[in-house]
Amino acid sequence: MCSTAAEIIDNNQNLKYNKPMLKLKNYSVSGVLENINVDFEKGKKYIVMGSNGVGKSTLIHSIMGRPDLEVSGELTLGSADLLDMPVDQRAKAGLFVAFQTPTAIPGLSNFQMMKQALDLKGSELGKKLAEYKDNAKALKLPEGWDKRNVNYDASGGEKKKSELIHLKMLDNKVAMLDEPDSGLDVDGIKSLITTLNDWHNEENTLIVVTHYEKLIEGINPDAVLVLKKDNVIVGDKTLADTIFSKGFDSV
Amino acid sequence: MYKQLFSYPFLSNQPSKETYYNLPDLVEYITSDEYIAITEDHTDKNIYKELIKCYKANLLFLREHGVPHSKQEQFNTFNLNKLYSLDILTNNVAKTSAIFDKLGYLATSDENLVTCIDGDVFTTENINKKSSAGLQILDYMKVGKQRHTEYTKLIEKTGNFSNLTFGSSIYPNVFIFPNGSKSKYANKPVKITYENSKDDPILESNTNIVDVQYGTHVKLVEKVKTTAGQMNYVTYIVREGSTLEIDRDTTDAGGWSIFDSRFICHPNSIVKINCSNTGSQYTQENFYFKCSSGVKLELNGRNNIRKGNEYYSFVRVRSADNDNTSNIDVRNIGNEHSKTSWIGRFEVSPTSTGFDGTMDNDNLMLSSTAKMNTRPILDIYTKEIECTHGCTISNVDKNQLYYLQSKGFDKATATSMLVESFLC
Repeated sequence: MCSTAAEIIDNNQNLKYNKPMLKLKNYSVSGVLENINVDFEKGKKYIVMGSNGVGKSTLIHSIMGRPDLEVSGELTLGSADLLDMPVDQRAKAGLFVAFQTPTAIPGLSNFQMMKQALDLKGSELGKKLAEYKDNAKALKLPEGWDKRNVNYDASGGEKKKSELIHLKMLDNKVAMLDEPDSGLDVDGIKSLITTLNDWHNEENTLIVVTHYEKLIEGINPDAVLVLKKDNVIVGDKTLADTIFSKGFDSV
Repeated sequence: MYKQLFSYPFLSNQPSKETYYNLPDLVEYITSDEYIAITEDHTDKNIYKELIKCYKANLLFLREHGVPHSKQEQFNTFNLNKLYSLDILTNNVAKTSAIFDKLGYLATSDENLVTCIDGDVFTTENINKKSSAGLQILDYMKVGKQRHTEYTKLIEKTGNFSNLTFGSSIYPNVFIFPNGSKSKYANKPVKITYENSKDDPILESNTNIVDVQYGTHVKLVEKVKTTAGQMNYVTYIVREGSTLEIDRDTTDAGGWSIFDSRFICHPNSIVKINCSNTGSQYTQENFYFKCSSGVKLELNGRNNIRKGNEYYSFVRVRSADNDNTSNIDVRNIGNEHSKTSWIGRFEVSPTSTGFDGTMDNDNLMLSSTAKMNTRPILDIYTKEIECTHGCTISNVDKNQLYYLQSKGFDKATATSMLVESFLC
């Protein structure tokens, strides 16, 4: 039986995802990935690795429902079938994606976007603004960040930090981050690790695409996935160590 | 208007045009020998003779050139055929007390309100009060002949719709913001509303002159509400060291409109204009700027053209002397079946060194049934300038749409957010 996103939201307080939380079965994407089978479980942290161009970003965005990607197979979140859901429904059902290159939207302020997103969840305005400012300050974003336009006139690192604020405030169940370390300075990487570990708990799932050793160490993942065109190799943290020492061809 | 020009019922005698006419008919009427003879014979002592001369010269020019046509650069992407086929109801009913009922709010408001309807000017009481630094309104130009000589000279033969507007409204009204008012009318802006007297498809016209005198700072909040046909021709004189700010909102109320704004910018003056439009069955909004030296000019247009509406705009900046700055940024949204056209032109003379101009027109098409045109023209005769232009027509950015949807916004909400951000 499949549930719609609306049904999931209605039962938000009583979410009982069957393990695995996010399941891909015989999942193919636009000729890039074929017959992928992988389960992402609740309460766990995953690192996704893979050689350049293998389709790591494509995988994440296809799960999020990017309209230009054609997919087949099965994709479920708990008991909900995601394949027929538009992007916003998937977001409401609990999926979150942090972009590798976040899209700029001139004319729309960071806080305005966050406020409208939280309005859908019924938060109070004063609380939202204070929380937004606190988060921006904790990530060492410049003063007045809330008034600046979304990802416009911002450095690569600032954009990535901005995505982390979304992650914290939108409170989704499955977070997929696409190379969140790129563009971040040393302090930024520390903040990233802290943010991700603070966010993660037994009720949610963290999926991070990265090849950055320190980030993998900092996150201390439950599993490392190496993505191939038609296969996923699953291992523990030592799989990442093997790749760092011997390369992708070794696995 | 029509049958009321000098109270002479000319066209009413033509059986084929008893009920409706259109703009070419109007030109034919007011440029006919018979009508021009009426102007010559006009003997109302209250009417300033120089004005009558000017008016007659305008008619003769109109006779020679006819209505503006699509071969003229500023109109060749405009939908003039549609404009000329719009039916205009003959309006032989004299203005009645109904207008005064409609304007009842002027009696009680303590704001600086002015309403212009078919050449008539109605104001709130506080504007009517005579004071040394108060706004002076010379309606109908019936008084103060010495001043009229100066203002009459400002009515030019332009070849655009302003000649037709003047031809059909006869008596210009002059609004003078005296030197002594300083920032009085920036602190408490004057709100000018251009309205129609009724909802029937009549045509009403206003010819106004706004004189912002030396060292004065004035803000005008203009509302253009067209329930019927409306043509406006306003000349703004921005004198040395003065600042004129205009916020103009043109809203579709079922009619159509042509608004020609001409700015005569004296040295070191500042003009800032923010305008917004919804379009209508036909809306044309043209800006003509003449800049002497050290003029700072800023024009921001944010136009969300509603489904099925049309909006056409021409902007011309003539820079005659040194160190002028001109920033033009016009953005149009085209909804389903809407039509827009924007033509911008910088004319920089050989003596205008140090000109610094940017001209941007961005168009966002929300539907494949929208039609949008844009054309920047830079006519530069000197090397010592900085001048840039950028004109774009695009659809909603799919990446932006996806980004917002991934944050939980449905497609309609995300599109609406992108429209708002585009117009920001």
